[in-house]
Amino acid sequence: MKFPRTQMAALVAASALALSACSGGSPAAAPAADLTAEPDYNGSISVLTKFAGEPLEAYFEDVAAAYQKKHPGVSIELIQETDQSIKDKIRTLTASQALPDVYFTWAGNWQENYVNGGLAADLSELIAPETEWGSSFGEASLDAFAVDGKYYGIPLYSNGKFMGYNKAAFEKAAVDVPTNFDELISSCEPLRKAGYEPIAFGNKDGWPGLHYLGQLFAYNVPAEVLEADFDPQTASWQDPGYVTALEQYKRLVDSCTDTGAGSNGVLYTTAQEAFSGERAAMYYQEVLEFDSVAGEKKLDPEKFGIFALPAPADAAGDPAAIEGSPEGYMINARSPQAALAADFMKFATNTQNAQTLSATPYGQPSAVKGAVTEETSSKAVFEGIEKVNEASQLVIWLDTVTVPEVADAWLAGGEALTSGSSTPAEVIDSVRTASESAK
Amino acid sequence: MVSKGYFFAVIGRVFAWTFLLGLAVIVIYPLLWMLLNGFKTNSELFANPFALPQQFSWQNYVNAWNRGVSNYVTTSVLVTVTSTIATVFISAWAAYGLSRVKIPFSKFWTGFILGGLMLAPTVALVPLVKLMQALGLYNTFWALLILYTAFRIPFTTFLIRAYMIDLPFEIDEAAEMDGASRWKTFWHIILPMCTPILVSTVLLHVLFAWNEYIFAMVFTNGTGVEPLPVGLTSLMSKHGTDYPVVFAGMAIAAIPVLVLFFASQRYFVKGLSEGVGK
Amino acid sequence: MTLTHSAPPRRHPSGAPARRSGRPSPALFSRRLSPRGLLWLAPAVLILLSFVYWPLVQNFAFSMTEWDVYTGTQEFVGLENFSRLATDPVFQRSLLNNLLYAGLSLIFQVAGALLLAVVIESRRSERLRRALRAIYFVPSAISLTVAGLLFYFIYEPKLGMLNHLLEAVNLGALAQPWLGQESTAMLGIIMMSQWQGFGYSTLLFAVAIQRIPRELYEAAEIDGIGPVRQFFTITVPLVREMSGLMVIVTISGAFQVFNEVMVMTSGGPNNSTQVLGTWLYHNGFSRNDFGYAAAIATVIFVVTISIGLVQMWYTKRRRVQW
Repeated sequence: MKFPRTQMAALVAASALALSACSGGSPAAAPAADLTAEPDYNGSISVLTKFAGEPLEAYFEDVAAAYQKKHPGVSIELIQETDQSIKDKIRTLTASQALPDVYFTWAGNWQENYVNGGLAADLSELIAPETEWGSSFGEASLDAFAVDGKYYGIPLYSNGKFMGYNKAAFEKAAVDVPTNFDELISSCEPLRKAGYEPIAFGNKDGWPGLHYLGQLFAYNVPAEVLEADFDPQTASWQDPGYVTALEQYKRLVDSCTDTGAGSNGVLYTTAQEAFSGERAAMYYQEVLEFDSVAGEKKLDPEKFGIFALPAPADAAGDPAAIEGSPEGYMINARSPQAALAADFMKFATNTQNAQTLSATPYGQPSAVKGAVTEETSSKAVFEGIEKVNEASQLVIWLDTVTVPEVADAWLAGGEALTSGSSTPAEVIDSVRTASESAK
Repeated sequence: MVSKGYFFAVIGRVFAWTFLLGLAVIVIYPLLWMLLNGFKTNSELFANPFALPQQFSWQNYVNAWNRGVSNYVTTSVLVTVTSTIATVFISAWAAYGLSRVKIPFSKFWTGFILGGLMLAPTVALVPLVKLMQALGLYNTFWALLILYTAFRIPFTTFLIRAYMIDLPFEIDEAAEMDGASRWKTFWHIILPMCTPILVSTVLLHVLFAWNEYIFAMVFTNGTGVEPLPVGLTSLMSKHGTDYPVVFAGMAIAAIPVLVLFFASQRYFVKGLSEGVGK
Repeated sequence: MTLTHSAPPRRHPSGAPARRSGRPSPALFSRRLSPRGLLWLAPAVLILLSFVYWPLVQNFAFSMTEWDVYTGTQEFVGLENFSRLATDPVFQRSLLNNLLYAGLSLIFQVAGALLLAVVIESRRSERLRRALRAIYFVPSAISLTVAGLLFYFIYEPKLGMLNHLLEAVNLGALAQPWLGQESTAMLGIIMMSQWQGFGYSTLLFAVAIQRIPRELYEAAEIDGIGPVRQFFTITVPLVREMSGLMVIVTISGAFQVFNEVMVMTSGGPNNSTQVLGTWLYHNGFSRNDFGYAAAIATVIFVVTISIGLVQMWYTKRRRVQW
């Protein structure tokens, strides 16, 4: 784009004016929020959650109501968003310097941006493993939110991705739970003959495909290579395992889903419904989804089984890794009510609330030790969390662990691979290009 | 004997009729499908998209209403009503000043106000987020009220001004000689004479404010100030697989404006045909 | 649905009030230059200044910065964001999609709507004409959000109406994941918006056709001129003013597309349905690259303002002709 010189000069002058007038930028180093002070139980705090919609919505509403009952001087403003809407919303709030006192976070690059921007309060004094509050959590989930040895996150629940299957469908088609990737693929034909869509899949939002890819990368790419590629400074994305994994994904989409190359036009909720309505035999899902898939008026919990996505027989990576990560909350470093906010989160993660969260109808397995029990949680959630705890490592979601440019390239690439418009080699090329330009 | 010309005329008429009716079906059937889907159960919806619902129960409509649509409707009604009042009055004042008062630099001011017609809302989006935040209006009802007003003043002023210019100038002078002030002339004489165009602008603004999406999406965030269009998309993501409820919500959003349209068609047409010059 | 309340058709080239020939009394304030008259404009001017023009200026400034949303710092980078635009394939794709949008809308909403209006207006019964115009207008009264969601479900590969319809008439081979593949997604969105918008322009053309004196057609009839030639020799020239405006409005609208794309595909799959508006939104609000988003906004500004200037020139010329 070219401008004639005079216009250019005018433009620069105008912009200098506008800049000086409006960008009284705030300092990067935040004033240390006084977290250890005795909270003043007066005033209001805002909390941005990811629990909008039924049934989750009620959880924070109840916790907030109970807390306000205990401390009548406190009012809690809940901003509840969905998994899909929270990404854009939290970025808008960040950009306009209006983060709530407490806000949701994923682990990985997503969280580091907030820490490095001085937007997250250092909670080490409160929640490090040796502290009273910290000792109530599983240590791995605290570590997931640690940056440079400091603890920034309050882990709320753990999560992991599993293939859910319909036991009745498997019986009808006379297939066993597959033990490796090839067996999974070859189980699809008999399932289809038995009248089921083998695997329900909806990739309209792009991330459902990335969840397959993230798990397959963990299987096919050595762990230390993967870790280096997640860091924008050391990323090269050269390992041949990526292409192998992309090919495996394409095979799965083409031979095990009914929508195949058209899966980009299907919502993940439609796929979920196909599974819980017993039209599909399998559906790849997070532990968090278990209680919305199986239960009353849905799939009979007795028919609901889970297994980790089977690893390929000769995988070069870690076959015992599971994709998933705890999700949690951070406290705004600039919050004038930081101590009160921390106190509220302490309340939200007490044993009783943690058990409520882990039980139906919520089914969000709390990161608090002992909150997920066979008695209080559903069978599937309990089993899922057992498997998460047994995993050799947790691999964070591809779209939150990488920088936005690379996450975007993976999203677009995953969709292109699904529809067949790009080959695995082309996809990984576009990721490398994005990764280079993000350095 | 039938003549050849007559034969072709008949063919032509049959063809025209088929075409017009076919088009009407293409227009109406999707809307009918939407209404009917609002009555189905989820499994009916997934089983056969053409089948009629087994029974007509209002349950999905009730559910949609209780799951947030009542809030979205309240916000939408509030924003629509207030921004319509604000826009029409501010624009009528401006139109009066531009068309019937001898103001200094009148050409400049006309250009300044009507020039806003050429600006796309997306262009100002990023700075507006910052501005609304600085004013503490982000995620409030006020943000939408202000933006819906600001971005519609040029168009509304344009319509009213074009109408006012055509009113004979003697009216003002006669009123003045009778001792009426400017303010009185505006309220009691000019404004009532503009009723037809005012009705049209009100209708067009209602249509705009009820359906607006981009500002609503960016400037509200789900704490009871979302208007309908944004509320519908969050209804979709919040209630996962319960699509009949989403269809019911869509129908609830569509019906008020449709009713308004059929009740006041001729004003709509008037406003639209005047407004195409924008 | 005729125009019943038109004001007397007296237009003045300058837009200034008409001068009467009689000598007015100089004491009348309606004749004097009145600086206080600016108060009438004050509310409009203040609102436009703060919420329309000022953000516009700021947008130019932002488009030359790199903006770290986490720390809130902005750094001046000159024209770097614009040179990035030049090499951004998705930006080019967006621009092409906007052009495709404009092109198809011209075919359906200008040419098609004009033909349709002629066919409607040649029906004899006024009640029928009114009913047809109203029916075709219905989609324009529902919001693009509702229409977009509705067509998302119509195009859905599994429960969607369109594929089931094709199967029902034995054309199952043509069934597609309409919004799920790069080759058809943009087309699907554009066709939805034709469905939504054609009644609106048909209505406007119908109004323009009603203004053509009937005698012209009657005379042509007597001279033995057929309906096709009547269309080209009478209708087209006499609705030229309306068509010209429709062309401009349609193109300008095509560069501001946002709502339907956001609702139906959010720009996917594989960025194949990104348009300038959604690419702006994605870069600003999903990638935190507000400087780059502001640069895209500047492009939208340049395009729409150019179209606006063409329109001003067109309307001026038209007035002179009158």
